[in-house]
Amino acid sequence: MSKIELKNVTLNYAERKSVFTALDDVSFSVKAGEFVSIIGASGCGKSSLLSLLEGLNFPTQGVITIDGQEITGTGEDRAVVFQHYSLFPWMTTRGNVIYGIKQVNKKLTNQELTAIADDYLEKVGLSGFENKYPLQLSGGMQQRAAIARALAMSPSILLMDEPFGAVDAKNRKILQELLLELWENSEEKKTVVFVTHDIDEAILLSDRIIMMTSNPGRIKKEIPIDFPRPRTGSHLLESKKYLNFRKELLATFFNDISEKIGGEEVAL
Amino acid sequence: MKDKLKKQLNITNLLFIVFLLIQLLPEQYSKETYEINIIIFVIGIQVIYLLLSFLNKKEEKMETIQDIIAISYLLIIIWQLLTSKSAILNELLFPAPGIVIEQFIADLPKILEGIQSSIFIIIQGYLLALVTAIPLGLAAGWHIRFGNSFLYVSKFFGSIPPIVYIPYAIALLPAFRDASVFVIFAASFWPILGATMAGVFNIEKKILDSAKTLNVGKLSMLFHVMLPAALPEILMGCSQGLGISFILLTSAEMIGGKTGMGYYIKYYSDFGDFTRIVVGIIVLGVVVSILTYFFNLLQSYLLRWRQ
Ligand SMILES: Nc1ncnc2c1ncn2[C@@H]1O[C@H](COP(=O)(O)OP(=O)(O)O)[C@@H](O)[C@H]1O
Ligand SMILES: [Mg+2]
Repeated sequence: MSKIELKNVTLNYAERKSVFTALDDVSFSVKAGEFVSIIGASGCGKSSLLSLLEGLNFPTQGVITIDGQEITGTGEDRAVVFQHYSLFPWMTTRGNVIYGIKQVNKKLTNQELTAIADDYLEKVGLSGFENKYPLQLSGGMQQRAAIARALAMSPSILLMDEPFGAVDAKNRKILQELLLELWENSEEKKTVVFVTHDIDEAILLSDRIIMMTSNPGRIKKEIPIDFPRPRTGSHLLESKKYLNFRKELLATFFNDISEKIGGEEVAL
Repeated sequence: MKDKLKKQLNITNLLFIVFLLIQLLPEQYSKETYEINIIIFVIGIQVIYLLLSFLNKKEEKMETIQDIIAISYLLIIIWQLLTSKSAILNELLFPAPGIVIEQFIADLPKILEGIQSSIFIIIQGYLLALVTAIPLGLAAGWHIRFGNSFLYVSKFFGSIPPIVYIPYAIALLPAFRDASVFVIFAASFWPILGATMAGVFNIEKKILDSAKTLNVGKLSMLFHVMLPAALPEILMGCSQGLGISFILLTSAEMIGGKTGMGYYIKYYSDFGDFTRIVVGIIVLGVVVSILTYFFNLLQSYLLRWRQ
């Protein structure tokens, strides 16, 4: 059985006089422990799709199940990392992680909470920054802390909405590899749904890429990525196979974009 | 050493010397003006200032203190020049600074008692407003529909000058104390409520989404997420409420009180005792400034997370 399953999902936003279809008949499934990226131009409905998985919104038509159960709201089985505002600015990094753990485990003592939080902060390379407030950290460090909080809540599913979209290029590379390492080395592999508009990021991280088109948001293509793991960005770049593969993907991607008039900007 | 001496060449010290020179001028007021009081006062401040400037390393903080002292000296110099040193102003209406200090010392027990009574009344009414307006504002913000119309209700009541509550309060609550507590409650309630609701409305949606994905409980959502997220705006309402409270309480004391600085000023103005009126005004100003200072300290502590 698949971990996550979407069947004929349609999402409409009611506007003042009309109805806007953000997602149209979207179906796909994600296996347990699989890393799936959703890629598409901005405005094609990636965040809308993820909000359904997060349980913050519900499909107009169709069903979404997790472990066979229909989603009824947010849940402890899922943790989320947004591009911005995942962390609460009035809590320190340690406070943020502890607050997250407390929501899934109310019985731990303060000492135990602190120990777990510091452990995860160390894993993401934030030792020494436990008592800093998010606004005192760089964008990249904020995302590290958000990832630490998400992992510390030990969810089985990780939902990430362009988590590195606002991080500078160099730190983005570092964070991608950190995420890969954490994911590959975790005891029970987490199922990850990762939204991005960066093709290289998607290839590096994913087992499978789901490409979307916009207006209305539909699935254009599903592409399995079978480069051997563990992967690193520099290794991939050296292989001819990768370069050809990337070229093909870009062609598919741009084919879609040039079909639209005034296609939107895509970071590559 | 040379640097340290050079640093002493500033306006504050210059004004201090000007002040000393002015003392050489003959007195022009006919009654005793107790000039020695103001001389001791200014010298005392100057000693503290010099001690601070030699001990303190933080330039920025020192600059503020230095400016405040310079302005105080300037005001005292102008005050003396216009009163005892020239008699430009009417002696009966404008007492010299020395005699104001003399009167202040004589009335000190009465003044302290008055301040204490005023502050207790304000704390009671204000705390009552805080503990009711903030939870209500958070809850109203939570139920957005309810909150939307409620925002207008609060704007309506907030726009009524709170002074109109005084006659009602006095009529309904015969004890002056209770009436004052009620007036301060009513006056600070609306700005705090309005600010809390506005604060909740303006919370970034992503923050609330983030909290929801953590499966935060309702109470934790209200007090661990919405309250701190709205806190910057809530504190603006609180500061507004505190300001109104002082204005109102002083007015109430002048209208119907038997305690407090408002009463002190009103009582002696009936006798045309302008020395005591000036004492009352200065004391009020100093008390409000000190409270504002502590409020700002608390505010910057509570909002220390904002860079
Ligand atoms: N709450 C909403 N109400 C109405 N329209 C929305 C809402 N959220 C998103 N949309 C619209 O849905 C489309 C998809 O948005 P989104 O899911 O954010 O795309 P992406 O994340 O791929 O950039 C956009 O055209 C956007 O304007
Ligand atoms: Mg988006």
